[in-house]
Amino acid sequence: MKRRQGSGPDPQRRRRGPLAAALAVALALSSAASMLTGCATLHDPVPSCGDPLRLAIIAQSVPGAGYVPCIGQLSEGWSSSAFEPQDRGTSFVLNSDRSPGQPVQVRLRASCAINGASPSPPRAPGVLTYTRLTSVSPRFTGTIYDVFPGGCVSYRFDFTTGPHIALMEQFESAIGLYPRQQLRLTLEKKLGVRLDS
Amino acid sequence: MLRAVATVRSAPLTQLMLGIDSMDSPWTARVAAWGTIAALLCWRRFRHLAVYLVIFLASGLLVSEMTLEVGRMRPAGIRILGHWQGYAQPSRSVTILVLVLVGVLYTLVPAGRLRTWGKLMAGIIIGAFCAARLYLAVDHPTDQVTALIVGWTLPVLAFRLAVPDDVFPVSYRGGRKAHLDIGGRRGKAIVRALDHQLGLHVVTVEPFGLESSAGSTPLRLEVRTRAGGQHVTLFGKLYALNHLRSDRWYKLARTVIYGRLEDEKPFSTVRRLAEYEDHLLRLMRDAGLPTPRPHGFAEITPEREYLVVMEFFEGAQEMRRAHADEQVIDAALLAVRQMWDAGVAHRDIKPSNVLVRDGRVLLIDVAFAAVRPTPWRQAVDLANMMLTLALISTPEQVYDRALRLFAADDVAEAFAASRSITIPTELRSLIRTDGRDLVGRFRALAPKRRPVPVQLWDIRRVGVTMVLIASLAAVLAVLAAYVQVTGLL
Repeated sequence: MKRRQGSGPDPQRRRRGPLAAALAVALALSSAASMLTGCATLHDPVPSCGDPLRLAIIAQSVPGAGYVPCIGQLSEGWSSSAFEPQDRGTSFVLNSDRSPGQPVQVRLRASCAINGASPSPPRAPGVLTYTRLTSVSPRFTGTIYDVFPGGCVSYRFDFTTGPHIALMEQFESAIGLYPRQQLRLTLEKKLGVRLDS
Repeated sequence: MLRAVATVRSAPLTQLMLGIDSMDSPWTARVAAWGTIAALLCWRRFRHLAVYLVIFLASGLLVSEMTLEVGRMRPAGIRILGHWQGYAQPSRSVTILVLVLVGVLYTLVPAGRLRTWGKLMAGIIIGAFCAARLYLAVDHPTDQVTALIVGWTLPVLAFRLAVPDDVFPVSYRGGRKAHLDIGGRRGKAIVRALDHQLGLHVVTVEPFGLESSAGSTPLRLEVRTRAGGQHVTLFGKLYALNHLRSDRWYKLARTVIYGRLEDEKPFSTVRRLAEYEDHLLRLMRDAGLPTPRPHGFAEITPEREYLVVMEFFEGAQEMRRAHADEQVIDAALLAVRQMWDAGVAHRDIKPSNVLVRDGRVLLIDVAFAAVRPTPWRQAVDLANMMLTLALISTPEQVYDRALRLFAADDVAEAFAASRSITIPTELRSLIRTDGRDLVGRFRALAPKRRPVPVQLWDIRRVGVTMVLIASLAAVLAVLAAYVQVTGLL
């Protein structure tokens, strides 16, 4: 009796088997790779003050804001995450390994309710800085506001009393304020686009 | 381009576009994605589900990575009217909408005219959504083009390669997933294989008795033999990889449920499965058992699909539809006696596997049979046969006839070994419908005997059970992580 193999649907299926498997593996690998690289990127996604092109999206989130917050000098043990620019403002957090689970929450909004806050030395020209402390001991908690034309950045902190002095200094130096006017000029020069309509 | 679009802005049009853009709610994606997942689970389309989940995850992560890498601002120099979140390139909102629509189209909508219409509808929805977002100046045109590539082109390619329609068709014609389509190229391959390998010229081949078979695709074959050219009706069981996987899961479950009373080593290949059934058919024939005469098996696809061919019991009817007389009861009990004597257990005695023709009892479906089984297993065979017979007669009559072939202690042992889990689902269901306490009645008729413990534990059973529980926990953990990463909650 003659015997023939590989007739009918079989060769097609046999060819597709490895292809499908390869695809599945490729997708799984790409997923894993994406996850890993995604984590690496998400670890520090907040634009730095030295990268004005990426600051544009923060400026767009509050169209009239005279300044945009950015990452200046991050001290050892600090990192940024949860960067979320949207049409109602921008928020992100600053984490310190000396204050685990209690990140500083940074928000840029068109306005802030600063009632009850005391004036502090301004952090930039044209900026009014206020501080509202809600607790001093056993935890040092409160909010700092940088108010400027068209916007306001708030920083909510909650540190253990003691290490809070160093932590306050470090997070304040970690956040810079980039002038909108300067950003506008940079974007026009580098990308040829107008930031504001 | 966006400035040109902005020249046609008007208050009513803006309202309309904002309405269309409201599809960008996270709930749209969640409802569509969970609906698709639920439908795939409901239709037991697990391969499609796996591909869908991988594509959803991979595309979502790819878009996240790309947006962060590119870091593009939203359209500049123009007033943005809609809501937005995150960087612009590629458009996450467009990608998500396209992904869920492609998912529905390629996993739930049958290929052909319906899917073509579906694509048209999806095209209209996506087109309107993209147009609205351009009007509102939320996306750049290039953001949307990239989103369409990531959300449509790549997933479609993946679906076509991983679940091609001609091999894994989306169908709602009903029937069990175990049953393969025997039309098209597979049908031709069956005809060719039977001709070349078994010398049988197939006249017709059609599915047969699908409702009572889950472990293979049963076929009725009208053939003409090469030697003599006689017309013969044969029965075929088509085995494929999915049946092998089902067999593995079935045996794993039995290992956990029964423990060391059963030999539950799974088959390593489809070929082994076909070889085993063919071997059992020959062994039972040699032992004089009333089982179908074997005709060998044909290789349809090497290591993937095999067709076991055997005698077709023309005119036979299932035991539950037969007239119960002493001749039938005696013949059925004799078949069990013969199996005991031959050192074989059928292991799946139930009304649909015990046929009657001209007062003769015939046993079919020997695929689960075991050679040199445990005494417990043989006792269970006797109990199941007596229960099958009692459904069409009375326990008293069956017990009385059984004592002609078995000792009263044998019957007592059979029902001492019988438990709900040792009775096949079909038989259990018929007993429940019958309403009589058949097991209780048999136990009352037979001498008193302590129940035979079924739950015997050994290290292997404990290990398998632990691994199974750990695997289930791992799957749940992965699913939870998946839901979190993809934002489906």
